[in-house]
Order: sequence, then structure tokens, then C-alpha cells
Amino acid sequence: MKHESNDKTKWLCDKCQRELELAKVKVRYMEGNFEVDLMKCPTCNQVFIDEALALGKMKEVEEGLEDK
Amino acid sequence: MNLDKLLETGDRCIHKEPPACTAQCPVHLEIIDFLSEIEKGNFQDAYKLMEKRIPFHKIIGRICDHPCEAPCERSKAGGSIRISDLEKAVLEYGAYKPKKVWPVPKNKGRVAIVGGGLSGLTVAVDLDKKGYIVTIFEKNNRLGGQLWNFVGDALTEELLQEELQAIKDKKIAIHLETFVDKNSLTELLSEYDAVYLGTSKWEEPITWNPITFQVGSSTLFVGGGLVNETDSVIFSVSSGRRAAISIERYLSKVSLTDSREREGVFETVLRFDISNKASLPAIEKSGVIYSREEAIDEAKRCVKCQCRKCIEGCAHLRKYEMSPDAYIRQINHNERIILGTHYANKMINSCTECGLCKEECFLDISMKAVIQETRESMTERGEMPVSAHDFALKDMAFSNSSRFSLVRKQPSKEESKDLFYYPLISFSDYVKGLYKGTGKTEYLFYPGCQLPAAYPDDIKSIYEYLVGHVAGDVGIYLGCCGAPADWAGRKDLINENIEAIKKVWEEMERPTFILACSSCIRIFEKYCPEIKVESLWDIYIREGLPNKEHIKTPQTLSIHDACATRENSDLHESVRKIVSKLGYGIEELEYSKEKTKCCGYGGLVYFANREQCDAFVSERIGESENDLLVYCSMCKDLFVSGGKRTYHLLDLIYPKDNIEAATRKTPTLSERHQNRSQVKQILLKEIWREDPMEELMAEDYTLIIHEDIQKSMENRYILMEDILMVLKNAEEKNERFCNPETGDYLAKLRRENVTYWVKYSNEGEAFLIKSVYSHRMEIVEE
Repeated sequence: MKHESNDKTKWLCDKCQRELELAKVKVRYMEGNFEVDLMKCPTCNQVFIDEALALGKMKEVEEGLEDK
Repeated sequence: MNLDKLLETGDRCIHKEPPACTAQCPVHLEIIDFLSEIEKGNFQDAYKLMEKRIPFHKIIGRICDHPCEAPCERSKAGGSIRISDLEKAVLEYGAYKPKKVWPVPKNKGRVAIVGGGLSGLTVAVDLDKKGYIVTIFEKNNRLGGQLWNFVGDALTEELLQEELQAIKDKKIAIHLETFVDKNSLTELLSEYDAVYLGTSKWEEPITWNPITFQVGSSTLFVGGGLVNETDSVIFSVSSGRRAAISIERYLSKVSLTDSREREGVFETVLRFDISNKASLPAIEKSGVIYSREEAIDEAKRCVKCQCRKCIEGCAHLRKYEMSPDAYIRQINHNERIILGTHYANKMINSCTECGLCKEECFLDISMKAVIQETRESMTERGEMPVSAHDFALKDMAFSNSSRFSLVRKQPSKEESKDLFYYPLISFSDYVKGLYKGTGKTEYLFYPGCQLPAAYPDDIKSIYEYLVGHVAGDVGIYLGCCGAPADWAGRKDLINENIEAIKKVWEEMERPTFILACSSCIRIFEKYCPEIKVESLWDIYIREGLPNKEHIKTPQTLSIHDACATRENSDLHESVRKIVSKLGYGIEELEYSKEKTKCCGYGGLVYFANREQCDAFVSERIGESENDLLVYCSMCKDLFVSGGKRTYHLLDLIYPKDNIEAATRKTPTLSERHQNRSQVKQILLKEIWREDPMEELMAEDYTLIIHEDIQKSMENRYILMEDILMVLKNAEEKNERFCNPETGDYLAKLRRENVTYWVKYSNEGEAFLIKSVYSHRMEIVEE
């Protein structure tokens, strides 16, 4: 579920005022647990998910798992 | 789920059954395919089908006594298709030189054939092809038997000679002028592995098995004139072919009787309704045989008998091009999968469970019942995709929460005494009703969840009308009947819901429920038949309409009956009476009353497969030029969203001067919540004169939401409340991302099983919402 954001502008973590970094993040849905590379705040670990990812790849994986 | 029982239901479906013409053809020529090829001008492909099925097709095609024509459905609308004449045309225009076939090694056993007539020759050729050493014994000095009697215009001597020569060319041993009697037959039986007796007469009576044509358990098999009571050539070749199958099975030591039910002529269980087809007379031949064009035109008259009644009426079955038998096989497969993808889930959740299929079916097969059972099985086994029905179930929970749910007895006489003054007590039916109050609740008005969501202003009027018109006290009960849980296959939730309803019913000393929503009526009938219910529409007819003078512009309307009321003919009549009394004309739709269609909302298809829902909507709204009249608020909302002018019955009974009811904007999902809460507040305040028990959701934030974002919210099932909660969390805890270049913020919040994201910017005091989306997947932030 590797995802490169289409959003070319830079987002910062508002709380920590830090630039986001690509990191391994755990995600889970139903019985599925994965590790994926996502942008997140290195300090507070807040993970950034943009619209294209949520409605694209993530939705596809969700639907795939729901039909398993 | 009992899958064996399910498959039995599927097997009852007659969609795949052969048409009567093929069933009555002793060799089962695929006549629909045959005619389809002719229709397309593919005479050679039609010829191939004859070659495949009919022994000596060049002969039989010219002299066949065509038992296929009599049962042709077309006979009821212009005359049977002239299949026999078309076969002759195909032999003329589609014949090609047969491919050279290499003879197979003859090592499978020796078979003697007594009688070189049509049936014996069929056995000889069929067994020769399969590798048996075949020997023919014929009493005359030539092969062909009764075929020679047919020599004439259709079957020339030259052609017959040619076909007989082809047999000789196969190097089949032929003993002409060899008479076989009882004694020599005994010798043949000992000498050969099997013997076929195909003479037209025999010196003593023989009994044979009617399925296998075997005589006792011997190696003797019979066919032709001995077993056929007619001199039909097609029966003759058919019996020869069937005997050849038996001989082959016998010598291969496999069961002679397995799967042979449909050999020879059989009665098809297919039923076909030709009543809506225009009569078309048969095409006459201009010559001895049809010209190509004539043949094509004649083939075009074929109605291709196949039962598609349920499919034709249903946008769902058509979208997936599924007949019940195929559908059930897919469900069976889906239910049995342990590891792997359940490909049929989406299809199963795209049925509206409207029940039209059963109405249309000759055999009352109900896919509605099958789908309901399947969904229940899926939820019980945890195989139901959560996202399919999650929003609808949350909506149901909302309606049964304190934000909407309400139970009240009619305001007592004591509480209402300040209203009992002139002129109110003389002119207000409502106040008169209160004055007659006894304290015993005879009726409980249960408007359901979607009607208050779409008609918040009318619920109080209806309640006051009821108090003023029906005999006995009328209480109110706000909530959701549980239809979404039923559609989602959630037996646990629906049972819980029904228990809650029954509890209120008992506490109120078993009043009659007055229902305004078609789905509620269905649910009450299905799950709590002990509760007496009356439809609001029936009461309007019994007690008289309010606002009789209000008709705006008389016009003709087409009534779309709610699918949940399919079996409720009294209700259909009441609705029509109301519409007529109000001065409107009615033009019935083709699919109406017990054959009505679903708007597309049923079965929660709106949530599970929007594309499928849209297909239902667009089909239904295209069925009439008139404005539609509905009495279910979801039907109205979907049709209006689809661009069709549609009135709800309440639009006519309680007309509003300031809005065009037929095109009134559909409330959003958030507005539905707000409207329900508002109904509760209005009723509490204005009828029961209580202070609102709860604050409406406090809106501390001013939001600017443009239309495109509104649309996303609807399509993504995101409520205003979700956005507010995300903002609240972001603003209070600073949990958000910021974009220094654009000044936008992006914030998220997980609510139950969904994470909501909102992109926004500050516009002075307000928040401008730039995008909203959600996902169900959980991110582990550590």
C-alpha cells in the first residue's frame, strides 16, 4: 500500500511544527495487519493520509478484506 | 443456511429449460440456436448444428416428420415456425463438403446389426465411429429399408444412393440378402459381443427396457420399427442412436441407466408467456424451398422461448444478467468459500428484496427470500462486508436514541383544560379530541423514521388530525421499526428492536399502531403480527380528509406503489381513493400494485451499490410521462433526485403554498437527523408543552460548505456532526496538519469504526470546508 502523495505542497504537523517523514506505519482492518510507508510526524507520530490515498488504495484494500 | 434446500430452489427455476420444440425433437436439435444462425444469415453454422445432432442429416432434414413444429409457441401468435422448411433451406445453402475423418482403430468389440434400415444404419455408423467392429445383416439386396419409400421430390434416389455409399465406404461389413431368424439370432448372440435388432417385424414378442432398449439383461438391443409405434423417420434414428449409446455403455461396463431421463421426446417444464407478442404469420415460400431471404425472415419469427419474466422486470437481475438458477449457484459458491474472495457479496447486497421476481415467476420462486436468508447467513458468519450497511444501521441507532425516540400518551384532559374554551372547543377537532380523552391509549401513531426526516412540519398536523378524528386516545411513538436491520440480515438487531416495540405496546395496553411508512407496515406484519396496525392512508379514507379544498392544479398522476405494500391491496385502493378525492386523475403504470417495482432504496441498495440504485431509479422514472405519486418518502427522494417530478401523498394532503412540492429538494443525511430531532422538539413543546429534554447539537462553529462538498458528504456518508467533531478536536487539541503555503489545515478524528478527515481554512470566524473523506482502516500511531 505504498503511497506517494499527489499533493505537492508541504504539510507540517501543526502541533509539533515539524516536517513529515516517510516511515513504516502499522495499519489494521478486520483480520488484516500490515506495515506500510506513510508520511508522519516524527515527534507525535500523527499519520498523514490524503484524499487520494483514503479513497483509492485504502478503500480498495478495505473492500478486498471485507470480501475475504 | 441450508445449501441443499437452496440448490433445490435453484433447480426449480425453468430459465435454462429447453423450449418445447427441442424437447419434442427425438434427437434434440438445438432449434433456437439453429434459427438464430439462420436469422443472421449463417446458413453454414446452422448446417453444423444439424450435422451434429441429426443422424443422416442430409436425408432426415428432407423427410423429417417434424414433431418439433406442433408445440411451437409461435403457433399461438401467427403459426408455428416452419422448422422443417428451414432445414431444407439450410441443407441447400449451408452444406459443405464433410471433413475427412480418420477412422479410429477398431478394437472395442464386435457388434452385429440385424436390419439395414434407418435405425440399424444409425447404430452401425455411431458404433463404427467409436471403434467397434460392426457387421450388418440385411434380408433385402440393398440397404435403406423404408427410406426407399421416400424417394421423390425432396429425397432424390441419387442422394440416397450417395449416403448409402458413404456407409459402404466406411468398410463396415455388410451381408445383403441374409435373413436372420430366431435360430440365427441365437448364433449371432453367441458370436458377437452385442447384437442390435432393427427389423420392422420379429417372429415372437420381445420385451425391452424402454430407457436402454436392452432385452432383459442380455446382449440383445432393439430399436427402429420394433419399438416405435409409428413409422416416423426421426423416431427411428433416435431409437437407433439411443440403442447405440446403450451398447457402448454395456460393452464399456458402465451404468446403462444413469442420466438418461431426457433422451428421446420429453415434456419440457419451460413455460413461456407469449401474450405480449404481436401475431406474425408464417413466411410463404415463393419456390419449392425458401430463398435465403425468406428463410431469414421466417427464422426471425422465432420468439426464442426462454423464461425471463423475473429478469425482465428487475433492474438488478438484468444488471448482473442472472436468472435465479445461476444466481443461486453463485450464492452456493459464495457460501461455501472458506479461503478466497467472496465475489458475490456485492451482487447479494444489490437486490432490493422487493419481491417482484416472485410475482412474475410461474413457480413462485422468491429471490427476495433467498437473498434475505443469505444476508442473515453472511452476518451470522461474520462474512457481511461492514461498509455495505454500516451507515444505515447507524442511522437506525440514531432514530432509536433519545435524539429522536419518544413515547407519549395523548395529553390528558387535565393537562389540556386550558384549551377547552370557546371558540376552540367548538371548531378545533383536535381540542374536541382532547376533551373526549379517556386516558386509555387506543391508538399509537408511529410515523417511522424517514417520514419525519423528510416531512418534519407535517407530523404534528397528522397527530392533531388523528386525535381529532379517530375514536379513542392517540399516543405517539417515534423511532425506527428496524427495517434497515432486517435488510442488512441483522437478526440480532431486528429482534432487539422488535422486543423494544412490543414492550412499549404492552406498556400502553396493546393499542393499535397507526403506520404511515410502507416499510414499517412490512416489518410489523413480518415480525409482530400480534400488534394490530392500521395504515394512515386507510384512516384518511375512513375518517375523511383534512384540507379538502386545497388542490392546486388538477392533473393526471401515475402512482408508484411502494414495494413493501405489494400484498396490501386495500392500501393500494385507499391511496387511489385519496388521490381521486383530491381531484387528481390517475394513469396506472404497467408495473403497479402487486407488480410494482422498487424505487431502488429497498434492501439498502442505496448504500451497498449506488450504481445499482441509480439503475432502478432511472428505469422507474422513465416509465411515465406523468408526474409520479408515491407514498413512501424514500421513493419520493430518490425519484426527485433522479430528476422526476414526484409528489408524496402528504404533499397533496398537506399542501404548502410556498414550495413546489414535486421538485422539493431532498433533505441531506445530516438534515434528516436534524429534522427528526426537530420533530421530537416540536411535539414535546407544542403538544405536550414540555421543555425540550435535550439540546440540539450545539453548533459552536460556523461552517461554510459549498455545494460540491455537500455532495461529497452525501456520497461518502459523512454527516455535519462528523465534521464538527473533527473540527472541535482539531481546534481544541491542535491535532492537525497545517500547510504554510496555502494556510489550510487537515484534521482527522476516529469515530467508532470510521476515521473522518476534514481539510479547512479559517475565514474570519468561520471555517471554510475544502474537502471531506473517510476510511475504515485503522492507523496505529505509536
